[in-house]
Amino acid sequence: MSAALEVSGLVKRFGGLVATNDLSFSLQEGESLGLIGPNGAGKTTVLSQIMGELRQDSGTIELFGQEISALSTSRRIQAGVSRTYQIPRPFGDMNVAENIRVGLMPDDIWKLIVSPPDAERERELALSVGLAESDLLRTPSELAMGDLRKLEMARTMATAPRVMLLDEVFAGLTAGEVAQISELIQSMRKDGMTFLIVSHDLPALEPLIDRAIAIERGIMIAEGAFSEVMNDKSVQASYLGSV
Amino acid sequence: MELRWFHVVLWGGLIAGMFLLPQVVSNGTLRTLIFANYLAVFAISWDVLSGRTGYVSFGHPFLIGIGAYTTAILTKRFDVPVEVSIPLAVLFTMVAGLLVLLPALRIRGSYFALVTLAFMELLYQLVQVIRPDLTGGTRGMSGIQTLTRGAANGYYLSTALMLCIALSMWLLMKTRLGTALAAVGMNEESVRGSGLSTTRLKAFAFLTSAFIAGLGGAFYVHYLGSLAPRAMFDINFLFTIIVSALLGGTSTIVGPMIGAFFMTCLLEYLRPVLPGAERYFVYGAIALILYMYQPKGLVKLVQLTSKA
Repeated sequence: MSAALEVSGLVKRFGGLVATNDLSFSLQEGESLGLIGPNGAGKTTVLSQIMGELRQDSGTIELFGQEISALSTSRRIQAGVSRTYQIPRPFGDMNVAENIRVGLMPDDIWKLIVSPPDAERERELALSVGLAESDLLRTPSELAMGDLRKLEMARTMATAPRVMLLDEVFAGLTAGEVAQISELIQSMRKDGMTFLIVSHDLPALEPLIDRAIAIERGIMIAEGAFSEVMNDKSVQASYLGSV
Repeated sequence: MELRWFHVVLWGGLIAGMFLLPQVVSNGTLRTLIFANYLAVFAISWDVLSGRTGYVSFGHPFLIGIGAYTTAILTKRFDVPVEVSIPLAVLFTMVAGLLVLLPALRIRGSYFALVTLAFMELLYQLVQVIRPDLTGGTRGMSGIQTLTRGAANGYYLSTALMLCIALSMWLLMKTRLGTALAAVGMNEESVRGSGLSTTRLKAFAFLTSAFIAGLGGAFYVHYLGSLAPRAMFDINFLFTIIVSALLGGTSTIVGPMIGAFFMTCLLEYLRPVLPGAERYFVYGAIALILYMYQPKGLVKLVQLTSKA
């Protein structure tokens, strides 16, 4: 059986800087993988390449056995992979329901014109991520950071992904909000969602993943169970900045 | 699409009111309102593209000019009937819109505005030097077939055109497509990240905008009966279109309509007091004050006032 996500020999250079250096990993369906590393290790760059927001210089990316490197971001999302961003990117002048509506839209001009929005599905998605009914008509500027993350999760889930990439999903959250988002991810894992999670909040990340990979300067330095990776000397050195 | 009873009442009232207007106003006022109707068409065309998607076009007279010149040349030089020349003019304008679209796929912001401005200037220069026997060169063209006679008929035709375009665009923008186009203006990357092809959405906005500009340009030239390149590609004409849309409220369709009527009446009724270009200082000052107070335009101001 092919992996949900298979990244092989990924290389991305920005001038003289090698942001991703021959990186390979795979993710099985229903698995949750943590991608860790110090600041500037190249974690977000990996997610951006998987989504097609950045094009890799070499290497392949397969989603459920299909090579997706040549596809546009929107085609990749239609193929079943979607992501959240480190800094939430809502549509500022739209309310919560309309933000989710954009995620639910078909990539077809004619259908966008003739088929009405599904208000019930918008509501379901908002409630499923822990937003309140009263939030539906609020604009993003009226939401706390935790609710913005939930909105981002709802809009991402609206695209019906089979693999979700979460980028620093706990950044800027209070302890209570971290617990809420963690609970949401756990419940989605139970429903069979496949995750690749980037986070600096290692204690919050640990219970959400089956295994982890650590990268530094775009190179994979450790792979395995979370405790094994964290006990790895090169990982400790990369985080502590000593050898 | 969510249509409420007051939408029907407001649109019904507007349509009835506009068609009854010739009964109560003078021919002079009707001629002013005819220009307001065409300005509203051009402002709506600008709004569909720039107001919605955030791709600010500084070259809309380029599209309007293609529509106007195409039908003028076809009818005057080749005796093509207007029933054929106007659809052809719209088609040519849409093809021209595609030309503008190509750079737009790669650039945005001030660079896009400059590229569109360059297209306008390019056409201005071209119509003066390339085949002046067809375009009329620097003097333009006169004696172009008109579609109506008299102010009242011209008013009815321009009103019907403007209301058809405004109502159909308003209905279109009430659909999820309108939401998607507005989303492109707010955050194009997030639209892509929601699985939508922004190229396709932008192409739709460009072509729709070009369709309206071409149609408006063609009808406008058949109302005027003449075509002067200096007036068509005048920077004041361009800014009157943009300021109408901004003043009324972008991304609303109704806003550019209101803005166009406000601008036309303002400029016209200031004429006896300020006959020269200094009138434009007055509308500049009004626009500035409005932006400082309510950047979302007159429509938002009316909404807030009615809620209060």
